[in-house]
Amino acid sequence: MAAQGVGASVLRKEDDRFLKGRGQFVADIRLAGMKEVSFVRSPLAHAKIIGETIPDEDRPSVFVATDLRSVKPIRANSGLPGFKSSDQPVLAHDKVRYVGELLAACVAPTRAEAEDLGERVAFDFDELPAVHDMLQARRSGTALLHEHWGDNVFLETFVDVNIEAAFDAPVKVTREIRTARQCMAPIEGRGAVAVWDHRLGQLTLYTSAQMPHINRTGLSECLGIDHGQVRVVAPDVGGGFGYKGILLAEEVCLGWLAMRLGHPVRWIEDRREHLTANANCREHHYIITGYADRDGRLRGIDCEATVDSGAYSAYPFSACLEAAQVASILPGPYDFPSYRCRTWSAATNKCPILPYRGVARTGVCFALELVLDAIAREAGLEPAEVRARNLVRPEQMPFDNITKKHFDSGDYPESLRRAVAAIDLAGVRERQKRGEVDGRRIGLGMSIYCEQAAHGTSVYAGWGIPMVPGYEQATARVTPDGGLELRVGIQSHGQSLETTLAQVANEILGIDIAKIKVVHGDTEYTPYSTGTWGSRCIVMAGGAVARASQEIAERLRVIGANLLQADPEAVTLKGGQLVGPQAAVSIGEIARTWYLRPQDLPYGVHTGGLEATVGYRPERDSGTFSYATHAAVVAVDPEIGEVEILDYVVIEDGGKLINPMVVEGQIYGGLAQGIGTALYEEMPFDASGQPLASTFSDYLLPGPTEVPAARIDHMETLSPYTVFGQKGLGEGGAIAPPAAIANAVNDALSGLAVEITQSPITPRRVLEAIGAHTIERASAPGGQAR
Amino acid sequence: MKPVAFEYERPADIRSALALIGRNGPITKILAGGQSLGPMLNLRLVRPELVVDITRIPQLKSVEQSADAITVGACVTHADIEDGRVPDVTQGALPSVARNIAYRAVRNRGTLGGSLAHADPAADWVSALAAIGAVALIASSTGQRAIAVEDLMSGVFETVLGQAEILEAIRIPRLSVRARWGYYKISRKTGEFAHAIGAVLDDPERGVCRAVIGAIEAKPIVLADARPLFRNRVGADLEASFDMEVAEDLLRSAGLADPVVRQIHLAALRRAATKASHGHRLHHH
Amino acid sequence: MATVSITINGIGVEAEVEARTHLADFIREHRNLTGTHLGCEHGVCGACTVLIDGAPARSCITYAVACDGASITTVEGLEDDVSAELRDAFSREHALQCGYCTPGMLVSARDAVLRLPEPDDREIRVLLSGNLCRCTGYVGIVRAVKSVVADRRARGIAPADASGNPLGPVGSAHPAGRLTGGARGGRTTHVSAPLAVSARRDSRPLEEWRPQVTIEQRFIVHHPPEVVWAFLGRPEEVAACLPGAKLVGTPTENYIEGLLRVRAGPIAAEFAGSAEIERDVSHYAGMIRGRGKDNRSGSATRGEIAYKLSPEAGGGATRVDVTVGYTLTGMLAQFSRSGLIRDVANRLTAAFATNLEARLANGSLNQLPPVSAAELNVVTLVMSVVRDRIGRLLRRMLGQRKGT
Ligand SMILES: Cc1cc2nc3c(=O)[nH]c(=O)nc-3n(C[C@H](O)[C@H](O)[C@H](O)COP(=O)(O)OP(=O)(O)OC[C@H]3O[C@@H](n4cnc5c(N)ncnc54)[C@H](O)[C@@H]3O)c2cc1C
Ligand code: FES
Ligand code: FES
Repeated sequence: MAAQGVGASVLRKEDDRFLKGRGQFVADIRLAGMKEVSFVRSPLAHAKIIGETIPDEDRPSVFVATDLRSVKPIRANSGLPGFKSSDQPVLAHDKVRYVGELLAACVAPTRAEAEDLGERVAFDFDELPAVHDMLQARRSGTALLHEHWGDNVFLETFVDVNIEAAFDAPVKVTREIRTARQCMAPIEGRGAVAVWDHRLGQLTLYTSAQMPHINRTGLSECLGIDHGQVRVVAPDVGGGFGYKGILLAEEVCLGWLAMRLGHPVRWIEDRREHLTANANCREHHYIITGYADRDGRLRGIDCEATVDSGAYSAYPFSACLEAAQVASILPGPYDFPSYRCRTWSAATNKCPILPYRGVARTGVCFALELVLDAIAREAGLEPAEVRARNLVRPEQMPFDNITKKHFDSGDYPESLRRAVAAIDLAGVRERQKRGEVDGRRIGLGMSIYCEQAAHGTSVYAGWGIPMVPGYEQATARVTPDGGLELRVGIQSHGQSLETTLAQVANEILGIDIAKIKVVHGDTEYTPYSTGTWGSRCIVMAGGAVARASQEIAERLRVIGANLLQADPEAVTLKGGQLVGPQAAVSIGEIARTWYLRPQDLPYGVHTGGLEATVGYRPERDSGTFSYATHAAVVAVDPEIGEVEILDYVVIEDGGKLINPMVVEGQIYGGLAQGIGTALYEEMPFDASGQPLASTFSDYLLPGPTEVPAARIDHMETLSPYTVFGQKGLGEGGAIAPPAAIANAVNDALSGLAVEITQSPITPRRVLEAIGAHTIERASAPGGQAR
Repeated sequence: MKPVAFEYERPADIRSALALIGRNGPITKILAGGQSLGPMLNLRLVRPELVVDITRIPQLKSVEQSADAITVGACVTHADIEDGRVPDVTQGALPSVARNIAYRAVRNRGTLGGSLAHADPAADWVSALAAIGAVALIASSTGQRAIAVEDLMSGVFETVLGQAEILEAIRIPRLSVRARWGYYKISRKTGEFAHAIGAVLDDPERGVCRAVIGAIEAKPIVLADARPLFRNRVGADLEASFDMEVAEDLLRSAGLADPVVRQIHLAALRRAATKASHGHRLHHH
Repeated sequence: MATVSITINGIGVEAEVEARTHLADFIREHRNLTGTHLGCEHGVCGACTVLIDGAPARSCITYAVACDGASITTVEGLEDDVSAELRDAFSREHALQCGYCTPGMLVSARDAVLRLPEPDDREIRVLLSGNLCRCTGYVGIVRAVKSVVADRRARGIAPADASGNPLGPVGSAHPAGRLTGGARGGRTTHVSAPLAVSARRDSRPLEEWRPQVTIEQRFIVHHPPEVVWAFLGRPEEVAACLPGAKLVGTPTENYIEGLLRVRAGPIAAEFAGSAEIERDVSHYAGMIRGRGKDNRSGSATRGEIAYKLSPEAGGGATRVDVTVGYTLTGMLAQFSRSGLIRDVANRLTAAFATNLEARLANGSLNQLPPVSAAELNVVTLVMSVVRDRIGRLLRRMLGQRKGT
């Protein structure tokens, strides 16, 4: 058996079913008697609902707010002082607060007929002025989303660490920076099938979700039924990226419909619903000032950050998931003495902001790294030099930074050094001096981030959202044939945990991963867990599986020693066998004996048997810090504003890599999303709050020709706090690219004294920055025959 | 995202098709490859009562060659052109345009006729076939008429086709061997609709010098005599003679007020001229 | 319902389908072959890509009825060598994560392997560009395809030749046949959408509302202001100037209800609504504020037309200044290319001004029969103007530069 344990790039156990088209996604589920649901959604961003008209013959198949009186609204409060609570009704009544908000559910035999039905339902509105922009939202005198608040701010936060000490710095740069509102856009949208089981007295909700236990808690609260009456199953899930960690009003409504109607119902989010009504994220605005000495040493960062949180606080992460984090993570991997940051989570007439890979980090990294480059330009220094001067140093580890973030380990300057070498900084500078024959401009940009992952109770308790992670549990069960079942409460939807968790168990028990079955995504079969989010699975579920496997190892030793008639202290587990002084016995043999031939064992040998549920929580749960330096070389065509990525390098430190192949997959995938953020993806709204992208022809996702084959180099600095030294790194790939690419574009345009501070960097933004009137007519022959 | 209910007919010949679309009453849409109509149907932006599928009409998939042209049925696909299943009379010009329309899976069904009839200003054939000087042959129950492709489109999504007419075929002129062709499409990603199109055809042997500025959110600007664009120099080095000011004037008078939009259209046109100059036409895109 | 016969993965099936059922739904819902996925249903993402008569095509924008007689292969039926090699390579190169794009990706990857002779990375990427993957960043996918092509070419397997394929959309190379059952029978009767929105008056102060798009027009009419003023006081006349507009019920001096039908090519919308009219004779100024709604698309528009008359040429003529402002909401507004839709609105306004001018200028105002408000072709109208301008410009240039 080739190595299958921790560190081996074993091929994935999950591939086979997907490659044969045998995955089971939620839209693949069809139950007897099932009907389809289509929702009538608000066409307006902000309006009073006056009434509805439903043809009499359709009334039995159409459900509106008054039908759902018993259902509680979705509420996700934060415990942070001053947080204002919002109630998101499952079906809107009184008022609609964003385009796409649910008004009515229509039930019919097919989706097409359900949509026909929806067209026959009409709502009357009194339109209200829309709050379409976060800065507008903050202004006094603006229309109010939640009248009783008195303003449009979910939460304001403030920190100040001696900012005044920085004011006399010789270098001072201020920038206004914006990131676009985006959509997570997994290729599979959301969707749910709900059915009430009369025998079990239980609602089963199959849903495309990454945190099924949290959905269960939320459903039970909104529907007012016991947890025991709700089972949530997340089958195969076609990508999540944060979007599927949210309890949707649609899910609650489906649960209610199944209970009310007595037959199964299904709703599959279509792409229009996804883009215009549900999957919004990011959208930050910064006014940020960097103070530095002439040699590039940072003296302080002063920032005002606003995040467009949309209309409601989404369950469970709340409306301040981005803004409230901004203040604590803005300092990034840098060490500097003064800091001030004020943040606002602004309520607007847009759909609620939800987590997306990297959450606040992508915006924060964009803001800070752009300012570092601006400082470098102002001080006449190489941007890499400015970074080198300020990065946390390895000898400082473990290190508590200015916002009390506890860095566990790492050598940040080394990752920068490697990136500078790999991207050939000197070579690119030479090339820039020579100029390009095709008239394009070359630029090099870098960015560095750190990704706090798997942070637990101590961190989230302070934030006080409906969900605070604690011990992560795993159940390990040896089967009578010597196989292993692992039951975990997280959900794997591309992260390959069916493979990597098996590798963890293999490392400890030596059981062939082909015989290890990872069960996840079903609340009925798995221990409670907050699920898959925050890059936590390999640390938390991996840790729990390791602990459970160790417990099983211990029991195998005790039980097996009996069979070997040896002292338990004298036997060891090796290669799937228990080896004693004289003889060896396989795990299969021990299991068979325990389950099927108990007469061969003495009374009371180990009553726990070969099944164990064990909880895991690192003794320091402030999180692991993986990090990377990204470096990009781009070519900007100043005539048409096009940006091409010529080279891209990632130097990543993710601690111990459980499966390097999988890790690289995460980085490549994150990078593609980061490139989307940097260059393509934008969900614009007009002044009346209408979303302006409803198809993939409007909302551009990067395709195969837009994503380069990046070069990846690994460092493996172990985390002192986790079982194998592993760190969470699932989101990192998506954090750094917008900043690296923007810095590269700005480097390319630096000769024109032009800077872009808004993502995505579209051709229009490039041309507008350059000034459309200055047409560069000197482009060389041939254009770009690419 | 499912269409409204509609009836479906699949006539075997043009006469039956014309009879079906000529009926007074139901709101009727012709269906060819469905690659433009399909998305609009699914989004319920288009709500026909009757859909008439013309893709099984053999005549609309036939090809006829003559000394100076090739006549291609309206239901011939982008992939048919790309793969050379339709003999190429354009020195590689049209196959190279076809190759950069949408994606292969779309090109396997999307048709020339559908593209022209759909009249999306950002579509490739609308500009490319106008530049090449193609002629649209239109069938109605009273006979056939021929109009230049550049006169087919009347505005965004609008053509001069009557409700009871079918675009039957496109007649593509045979270019001389020394013809020069340049086509430049600016889009943000592969397979995306164009944000700007420039096309230049210079075929002195046939006395033809044409240019098109396309994807301007209106019907393309077609210069049937594009010599002013090249300072009226016959047989000129198209790149060197390109007159930016003339082009800029054209864009302004077409009402393109946004300087960014004007700039990318200028760039597309100039790059098309450059490509034509450098013989980029063959087997490049 | 129509009866179609389609061969799916080698098995012939006859089934009753609604004409509106796309091939993907047919495969998934009727045949329970759920390997074919839907990611957008508008042709962009590629998740639904299947083979139709052996060639990749989108099953979301191809209707099942249009595939009558054709042969479909889905991921479940990809059983040839290439597909087996690709599956191994996909796994080896970690070319899938969540697996949702994978079925469509395999179909396109197979096409790449079969048709591209000796592709470089770029050619592979271009061929796969119609398939989006949100997980992998494509690196493993490109490597997988590259390795399979290289291996096959090394084994002397030549690229496939598609030159003999029949012309026309894939799936259409079968006789038209008769549609048994006739698609006709199945059309569900439309219950027409409840028409207008109750003609409620807006309770909010009007100042709060600001139009998103404002268009200004100015023109001269060769009639004295009193005549023009009187004309504008007759709602029927004014409505007749607006292409596609139709009054409903009996208009009063300051309140009208009606319909406005607008078209942008195949897209049609019918806005039903009402408008309030205010006229200030002392300033010869008027204001029409209206709102309308197209229930089927859930779109609504709201607008105001302000006009002001001033005497010209010593009072024998009138200068009309019109400002039109409007806002569009709902489905029709929600596209990035809604510029196209807005364009139509702009042109509608231009047409209104032109018609108004024409009707006013057109002799005896009182006798004019109300023009039937034919559905515009504003686009053509405006384009002809533009075309003329360009024509003039070119003629001028040709003339000027002759001989230089
Ligand atoms: C993802 C995607 C990307 C695309 N990218 C591009 C691109 O980059 N460039 C580009 O040019 N196109 C692009 N297209 C459009 C594609 O080329 C379409 O195939 C084409 O525009 C329409 O052809 P069709 O045969 O599919 O027509 P259909 O969709 O069947 O019909 C289109 C319209 O034309 C009418 N019609 C069709 N045939 C006739 C006829 N013979 N006589 C009268 N009326 C007729 C129909 O009634 C309908 O209104 C893209 C499409 C998709 C889905
Ligand atoms: S579902 Fe067909 S292309 Fe996206
Ligand atoms: S593997 Fe998830 S979309 Fe491609």
